[in-house]
Amino acid sequence: MKPLILTLRRNDHGRIDVSPLTPDKLHGMNRDAVAAIRLQCGRRRVRVDTLFEITGRGARRVEIRRSTDQLFRIGFRMRSGTLEVRGHAGDNLGERMEGGEIRVRGDAGEWVGASMGGGLIDVSGCVGHRIGAALPGQLTGMKDGLILIAGDAGDRAGERMRAGTIVVLGNSGPWLAHRMAAGTIIVMGRSGAHAGIGMKRGTILMGRKPLLPPVGFRAAGTLKMEFLRLLFKQLGGTRTSMAMFRGFGPEAIRLAGDLTAGGKGEILILLNARAGAAT
Amino acid sequence: MRINGVHIDDTFAEAFPMKATRLIITAMTLKWAYRAANSLTGFASSVIACGCEADIERELLPEETPDGRPGIAVIIFAMSRKQLVEQVRRRVGQSVMTTATSACFAGSRSDDVIPLGKSLRYFGDGYQISKKVNGVRYWRIPVMHGEFLCEDTTGVVPAIGGGNFLVMAKTSRHGLAACERAVVAIRAVHGAVTTFPGGIVGSGSKVGSKYRFMPASTNEVFCPTLKGQVTSLLSAEVGSVLEIVIDGLNEAAIREAMCAGIRAVCKFGPGKGIYRIGAGNYGGKLGPFHFHLWDILN
Repeated sequence: MKPLILTLRRNDHGRIDVSPLTPDKLHGMNRDAVAAIRLQCGRRRVRVDTLFEITGRGARRVEIRRSTDQLFRIGFRMRSGTLEVRGHAGDNLGERMEGGEIRVRGDAGEWVGASMGGGLIDVSGCVGHRIGAALPGQLTGMKDGLILIAGDAGDRAGERMRAGTIVVLGNSGPWLAHRMAAGTIIVMGRSGAHAGIGMKRGTILMGRKPLLPPVGFRAAGTLKMEFLRLLFKQLGGTRTSMAMFRGFGPEAIRLAGDLTAGGKGEILILLNARAGAAT
Repeated sequence: MRINGVHIDDTFAEAFPMKATRLIITAMTLKWAYRAANSLTGFASSVIACGCEADIERELLPEETPDGRPGIAVIIFAMSRKQLVEQVRRRVGQSVMTTATSACFAGSRSDDVIPLGKSLRYFGDGYQISKKVNGVRYWRIPVMHGEFLCEDTTGVVPAIGGGNFLVMAKTSRHGLAACERAVVAIRAVHGAVTTFPGGIVGSGSKVGSKYRFMPASTNEVFCPTLKGQVTSLLSAEVGSVLEIVIDGLNEAAIREAMCAGIRAVCKFGPGKGIYRIGAGNYGGKLGPFHFHLWDILN
């Protein structure tokens, strides 16, 4: 089935809330029905066909072309289908998403996958602060699903995260996994200060040693973590960009913590990540 | 019907419904995966007294296993889902988890699942860690060799137990030689296993007994030493009867396995002491699945 293509016209409207434009909501709609949807632009509500050129009809696959960081809440509460974004995405990409797949060929703003409950978000560029984190006023962040970031991530990635997996191939900012309840975060580049502070359970995998030793963690030494074989094999098959994980081994330095929050979390610093990446 | 001079009886093998699950056992080396698998499938020849029937299905290459290590696929069959739950918990807990460097994963997917790591995780005494990867939950249980990694649940599928055929030979030596070849041929069939020692039954049974407490007893009509004493189904030249019992995940797997096994036996022919092929037919008392030998071989 052909995808529904929404090409952004010249945007004079400022930030546009595109939360109604998800494949599951648009599926089965004809072109006129899609065109008549009104999107919130500041204090006004503007028809979709005023903002976008529309090609095709509501389908399981939707493409947003010429996207900019002015489009926010892309894939909000999305449950199924594929949403491809060509260009940059604004804040709150995939917020409270439950299923399906979002691919962004560019950068994305803050709160990517905030409080998401399932599905896959794949960003080819960098992202802002608080990916997979809890939304303001909520106690839990990401509850399931997978977020893949090919570039860097901002501060507080995975804050209050409950489950699921975040993979950052670049660097991450400070306060990584702050108050994390469970789940897995992989950062292949450098991690900022205060990683894992307040984490109760869960796993942080680091491709490189942090610049500062994590506070509240105690070393368990260098170990073969057999679980990593499984994780790397499964991740390696997810995306072409993740194929590098197939070359990684299970050897890691294990740090248990945060001891002030129960100490059932862990930071694993991979020993052969760089060699694996080279292969 | 005759194949290579071996007479094929016009009869059917009677089989019964079971519940089954396939498990994948991995370890640092194939040798240690085999040790775990052999221990798990030990004393699992018949549900009559073992609680379940289990056997190794095949070796798995590292590419075929979830953690990329060498592995073994085993299939466990039980008469009910409840029995299967209990047998999986006991056998994986005592045979796989205790094997150094081992891990255990589900090998069959189904909407109906039973606990695997879900019940074994308590061994971690609160230090166990749950991980969800690609939508599948695993348990990391800290143990003295490192971590025992185990999938949360495994799928239960309807299966069939008791597909069989009887090999009537001049002597046990002749019968065993042919049956060993048959077991090798059956092992090539995916989804079918032979759960008895070496895949061969030396003491095939009938349903019931003159003793009330015995659910099964010797099948006297096929016992060579009782010729003349009972209404024997054996001719004068038959001195040994061996049975091959096949459990399978579906009818097609059992049919294919029976066909492969019988044809392998028939290659020996009367010249090498193989005279006749029969089947365990209990007049409909055992189960609803009937595998007619002539149909299978045609």
